[in-house]
Amino acid sequence: MQLHQVETEHLHPIETVDDLKFYLYTAIQLEHATIPPYLTAMYSIHPGTNKDVYDLIRVVVVEEMLHLTLAANLMNAIGGIPDLTGEGFVPSYPTYLPNGETDFKVGLGKFSEETIDTFLNIERPPLPTDSLKGGSKHSFGLTNTKRSRKLLIPAFKSADGDELHFYSIGEFYRAIGDGITKLTQELGEENVFTGDPSKQITPEYYYSGGGEIIPIYNEEDALAAIRLISEQGEGHDGGIFDYEGELSHYYRFQQIKLGQYYHEGDEPNAPSGGPLAIDWDSVYPIQSNPRITDYPEGSELKTAAMDFNIFYKNFLEQLTIALNGQPDQLISAVGGMFRIKEMSYQLMRNPISDDNENTGAPTFEIDAIS
Amino acid sequence: METYQENLNVFLDLSVVLTDFSSYELQGTGQLEAYYSTIIDVIGESNMVEVLDAFTLAKTNANGNETELEKQIRIQLLSNDKLGPITRNIIKMWFIGNWYQLPNIWRETYGAYEKDETFVVSAIAYTEGLLWPTIGSHPPGAKAPGYATWIDAPQISKV
Amino acid sequence: MKKILTNFNEANNQHIYNMRHKQKVVDHKTALNKEYDAVIVGSGISGSIVAKELSQKGYSVLILEAGPGKDLTISGYEKYINQFYSAVSKDNNAPYKRNPNAPMPRSVDVKKLEPGKPNTDSYLVQNGPFISDFTYSRVVGGTTMHFESKTPRMLPEDFNILTRYGHGLDWPMEYEDLMPYYRKAEFEMGVSGDVSSQTFSNEKAYEDDYVFPMLEMPPSYLDQCVAKDLDGTEINVAGETKTLKIRTFPQGRNGIPNNDYKKFNNGELFKPVGAVSEHQAEEGERCQGNNNCTPICPVQAKYDARKTLAKALENGGVDILPQTVASRVVIDPVTQKVSAIVYKSYEDINSEKHTTGTITANLFILAANAVENARLMLASGLNGSSDLMGRNLMDHPYILTWALLPEVAGTTRGTICTSGISDIRNGDFRKEQAAFAVDIHNDGWGWATGSPNTNLEDIVDNKNKFGKELRNELVHQISKQLLLANMVEMMPEPSNRITVDPKYVDRLGNPRPIVTMHLPEYTMKGIAFARQMSRQIFQRLGAEDYSTYSTEDYGYVEYKGEGYAIRGGNHLAGTHVMGTDPSNSVVDANQKSWDHSNLYLVGAGSMPTIGSSNTTLTMAALCFKSIDAMVNDLKELQASKQTSKQL
Ligand SMILES: Cc1cc2nc3c(=O)[nH]c(=O)nc-3n(C[C@H](O)[C@H](O)[C@H](O)COP(=O)(O)OP(=O)(O)OC[C@H]3O[C@@H](n4cnc5c(N)ncnc54)[C@H](O)[C@@H]3O)c2cc1C
Ligand code: SF4
Repeated sequence: MQLHQVETEHLHPIETVDDLKFYLYTAIQLEHATIPPYLTAMYSIHPGTNKDVYDLIRVVVVEEMLHLTLAANLMNAIGGIPDLTGEGFVPSYPTYLPNGETDFKVGLGKFSEETIDTFLNIERPPLPTDSLKGGSKHSFGLTNTKRSRKLLIPAFKSADGDELHFYSIGEFYRAIGDGITKLTQELGEENVFTGDPSKQITPEYYYSGGGEIIPIYNEEDALAAIRLISEQGEGHDGGIFDYEGELSHYYRFQQIKLGQYYHEGDEPNAPSGGPLAIDWDSVYPIQSNPRITDYPEGSELKTAAMDFNIFYKNFLEQLTIALNGQPDQLISAVGGMFRIKEMSYQLMRNPISDDNENTGAPTFEIDAIS
Repeated sequence: METYQENLNVFLDLSVVLTDFSSYELQGTGQLEAYYSTIIDVIGESNMVEVLDAFTLAKTNANGNETELEKQIRIQLLSNDKLGPITRNIIKMWFIGNWYQLPNIWRETYGAYEKDETFVVSAIAYTEGLLWPTIGSHPPGAKAPGYATWIDAPQISKV
Repeated sequence: MKKILTNFNEANNQHIYNMRHKQKVVDHKTALNKEYDAVIVGSGISGSIVAKELSQKGYSVLILEAGPGKDLTISGYEKYINQFYSAVSKDNNAPYKRNPNAPMPRSVDVKKLEPGKPNTDSYLVQNGPFISDFTYSRVVGGTTMHFESKTPRMLPEDFNILTRYGHGLDWPMEYEDLMPYYRKAEFEMGVSGDVSSQTFSNEKAYEDDYVFPMLEMPPSYLDQCVAKDLDGTEINVAGETKTLKIRTFPQGRNGIPNNDYKKFNNGELFKPVGAVSEHQAEEGERCQGNNNCTPICPVQAKYDARKTLAKALENGGVDILPQTVASRVVIDPVTQKVSAIVYKSYEDINSEKHTTGTITANLFILAANAVENARLMLASGLNGSSDLMGRNLMDHPYILTWALLPEVAGTTRGTICTSGISDIRNGDFRKEQAAFAVDIHNDGWGWATGSPNTNLEDIVDNKNKFGKELRNELVHQISKQLLLANMVEMMPEPSNRITVDPKYVDRLGNPRPIVTMHLPEYTMKGIAFARQMSRQIFQRLGAEDYSTYSTEDYGYVEYKGEGYAIRGGNHLAGTHVMGTDPSNSVVDANQKSWDHSNLYLVGAGSMPTIGSSNTTLTMAALCFKSIDAMVNDLKELQASKQTSKQL
C-alpha cells in the first residue's frame, strides 16, 4: 500500500486536504510509536508482581490503541488511507520525540525509574496558554530549537530559518483540529469528509474499557475525536483529569514516580490517595534497545526474536486491512496482541548468552524484514 | 554458586529430554528455577543431585545417540524405584505446574518428607503449564487467545 | 465548543459501560441509624436486580450479604483468580476461601451415602436417597460469580405443563405475561445469541423481528466437527421422530453488539458492560475465550451480578453490609408482618467472633437463593400456612456421556459451551418422560473425569511416556474429547425438600440446610433415554464411547438394570413455590408471601417448574416483573405509616 507522502521534511500549517492527510499519517505513526516502549516496560515486569504499575501502564496502552484507531477513522473520513505498513512507520528505537528545548530519547527498556521519566516526557501536558512563545498565528505551542535528528513529528521552518517544534503531542493535535476547521470553512464539509463511511470502525467492532470509538462522518465527529485523544493524554483544560473524570496519562505515570495515587479533587503534583506498591527489582533484566544482531548467531533466541518481528509485521498488516474497509477483521487482529505478550515473555526470560547478564526482548525492527 | 548454575543447566538439559520442549521454550516459561528449587525444597538437594547424576550417566552412555538416550533414560531414571517417581514428577510439574505427592511405597522406603504433598507450585506455574501449548490451547482462565479464535482448527505443532 | 460537547455526550453513550461504582459498603452503626424502605437479603442476581430497580424509583435499600465483599474492586477480583490458579482442586468454588461463618457447599466435600445415616460432615446435610453435588456461592454477587451464564428462556409450553402433559405444576401466569420481562432480563445480562435458531417451541416465543442484544457466540471448532456428521440424525423418542441439529445457546457474555437490536433499545446499539471496579480499569471486554466461565471469568466478559449491583450502588440509594448473615426473620404476632431481621455479622472469616443486630424496614425481600431462602424461613419457624416452605425442591440432574472423536477437534477452546442439542426440549413425548437439553462441553471431559490432569497422570504414570510420545499422546487423548452434558427436566414433588434441625448448625449457630431428594421416575426415564441417545450420536460420529459410571460414585443411581452417575445441575428451585392461592403455594405470581404481607421471597425458589432451561434468566425476569407490586406495597405502607403518625 502506497501512501501519498508529502515530499518535504518539514511541516507547514495545514492548507490543503493533502496536508491534513500528512498530519494524520504522522498522528497514526506517533500513536503507534509509543506502544512498543510501553509494552516492553509492561512485559518486563514479573507477572503477578507490581500489579498497580502493570495496570496503570495497561490503561495507557489500551487508550493509545484507541487513539490510533480514532486517527485511522479521521484518515478514512477525509478519504485518506491509513497505512501501518510503510517503510519507517515503526521507528528505529531509540527515537526522538519533540519536547521543547531538550531532545529526549524514547527507547525500549525495562520498567525502571528512568523509563518512567521517559514516559512522563512523552505524555507531558502542553504549555500553559500564557507562556506560548512568539506571537504569530501558527506559534501554538511551538518552541524554537536547533535539531538535526530525524524526528517523528517533522519540524516547521520559520521564515528566518528557525526550526520550530511542537512542545507536546497535544499541541500537534490542536494544529490538526484547527486545520480541519479551516478546511471545512473554506471548502465546505462535504468536500473535506469525502471518505467511504463503511470504512469507519464502529462500536460493534471496537469496544474496550479505554473509551468509546467515534465513527467520523463530519467536522463535529472529527473534533470530538481529537478532543478525546488530547484529553485522555493530557487532561481537560490544564487539569489532571479529562472530561470523563479519568486521570490523564501524564498524571497516571506521575503516580508511579511519586508512589502514590491521585484522589478526586487533588491538585497537580500533589496526589493524596493511597500508596502504590512498587518493586523495582521484580523485573526481567532485559537489554535496552536490543537489536537482532545483539543475539548470538544460530541461537534460538535470535530465531525467536526474528519470528517476533515477522509476527508483528503481520499484525500491522492485518490492522491495516481492518482499517481499510474490513472492520470485522479488527477483532482477530487485536486478538493477536495475546501472542505478542506471550512471545515477549519468552524472549525476556531467556538470557542472551551464558556470559551475558541480560535477557532478550523484542527488537521491533520491522523494516529489516524482507 | 558455580555448582548451582551447573546443576541448573543439567536440570534444564534433562527437562528438554523429558518434555521435548527446547531449552528456549522451557526458559521462556520462567519456571526453570522455580521447579528446580521446589524439588530441592520438598525432597532435599541430595535426591535432586542423584537424579542429575543419573541423567549425566545416561547421557554419557548414550554418547550422542538419541534412541540410545531414550533407552538410557528408562534404565537410569524411569525404571529406578527411587528416581523414577521423582522423574515422573518433574515431567508432570512441567506440564501442569503441580507437584504430586510421591507414591506411598516411595515414601515408606525413602522417607516421608513433610512438604511432600500435592500442591500447585504457584499461580504462575499453573498458567505456564506445557500441556496447553502442546494441544494448541491455553490454560483455562489465562492467556485467552481472543474472541472467536475457537472457531478455527487448533494449531498443534507436529512433533 | 458547545456543539462538540453535545456530540460528546452522544458519543459517550456508545461507550462500553465501565462499572465505576461508589463505595457504598456501610458499617453496621450507620445502617442501624438509617431508615430503609426495603431490606434485601442477598446480593446475587435476584437481590441486585430488586435493589437496582427499587433505588432507581427513589427508595432507600439496604442489602445484607452473608459473604465477603472484597470483589467489588479489580484487585479483590484478581485475588479470586489467583486463589483459583493456585488451588489443586479447580472446582466451582475454588476461587473462594472457605468461610465457616457463611459456608457454601463444595462438590469436593460430597461423599457417598452410607445406608441409614445422613451425610453430615460438610455444610449441606444430605439425607439422600439421591446425593447431589450441587453448589452455590456465598460471596458478594452470589452464585453468578461462577455460573456459566447460559441464558435460554423457558418455553411457552412449560408454563402449563400440568394441563398439557399431566406432569408438574401449572404456573399462575402465561409465558406471554413474562415476555416483556424476559427482554429486560436479556438486556440486563447482556445476552449474545441467535433468536432464529431458537425454534423448538410450537408457539410464538419472541416478538416479531426480535434479536438478542449481541450476536451469537460463534460455534466452536468442536461444535462444527460434531455438527457436520450429526445434523439430520433422526431420533425416535416415545413414538415421535425428532431431527437433531446443533445450535448455539444464548449466553450472557460480551460479544458483538447486534445492529438490529437498536429497534428494541431506543435506537441505540447495545452497550456491553465492563469490569466492576472502583478505579479505572479498562477491563471487561469482549469474551476472549478463556474457557473458564465457570468458575471464574478472568476478564469479566461474562455477566455476573456485581455488574447489576454496581449500577445499584452507583445511583446512590443502596447500601450494602457484607459479612452479615441474616439469621432470623421476626414476625409481628398481631399483624403477621415481618417486623425485623436479626443478623449475625463477623469481621474475619477465620474467627467465629460476631455481633448480633436487628434491622427494620417497611418491606423485606429474601433473595438468598432457593436453598437459603427456605433455610432462613424454616430456621425462623416459618413453615408457611401451606407447609410448602422448602418443599418441591428441584434441580436439573445431569447425565454426562463422553467419547473420543476420530479427529482432532481442538477441545478445550472457546467458552465452556457454545452449542448443543435442543430438539428434545419439547414435544408430546413429555407425557411420558422428561425433556432435556444437551451441551457440547468445549472444555472436554473435565467434569466427568478430571481431564486433562487425569490424562497427563495416566500417560506419564501408567503409559510410561515422555518426550515426543508424551506430547503426541496428550493431543490424542485431549484434543479429540467430546463430552455431552445432558440436562434433564425434574418435576416438583413435595417430598423433595429442604429442612432444618437444631442438631446441625454452622459456626455462627445458624441451622444448616438438610437436603432430602430422590429422582422421580419421569426424570429417570429421561436420563435413560439421554444415555441411549448419546450412544446413537457416538455411533453416528464414529466416536469411541468412554462413559462409565462407578457404583462407588456418590451420585450413582440404578434404573431398569443400568447404572448412572448423576451430577447436580445447580439450578435449585421450587422451595417457595408460586401459585394461585395460599393453599397451593408460598408466594403469589409476584413472589409475595401469602402469609406475611410485607415479605417477598424472590429467585428460582418461586418457580413451579423449570423445564429444560437454566433458571437464571427466568428468575431475573420474575424479579423485574415483581417490582411494580413491591412499589405499590411500599406506597401503601408509607401511606399507612403517614396516617398512623397523624392519628
Ligand atoms: C457451576 C454453576 C453453573 C451455573 N450455570 C448456570 C447457567 O449457565 N445458567 C443459569 O441460568 N444458571 C446457572 N447456574 C445457576 C445460577 O448461578 C443461579 O441460579 C443464580 O446465580 C441464583 O441467583 P440468586 O440471586 O437467586 O442466588 P445466589 O446467586 O445464590 O445469591 C444469593 C446471595 O445471598 C447471600 N446469602 C445467602 N444466605 C444469606 C443469609 N442468610 N444472609 C445474607 N445473605 C445470604 C449469598 O451469599 C449470595 O450472595 C449455575 C450455577 C452453578 C453453581
Ligand atoms: S470464555 Fe473466557 S473470556 Fe469468555 S466469558 Fe468465559 S471465561 Fe470469560
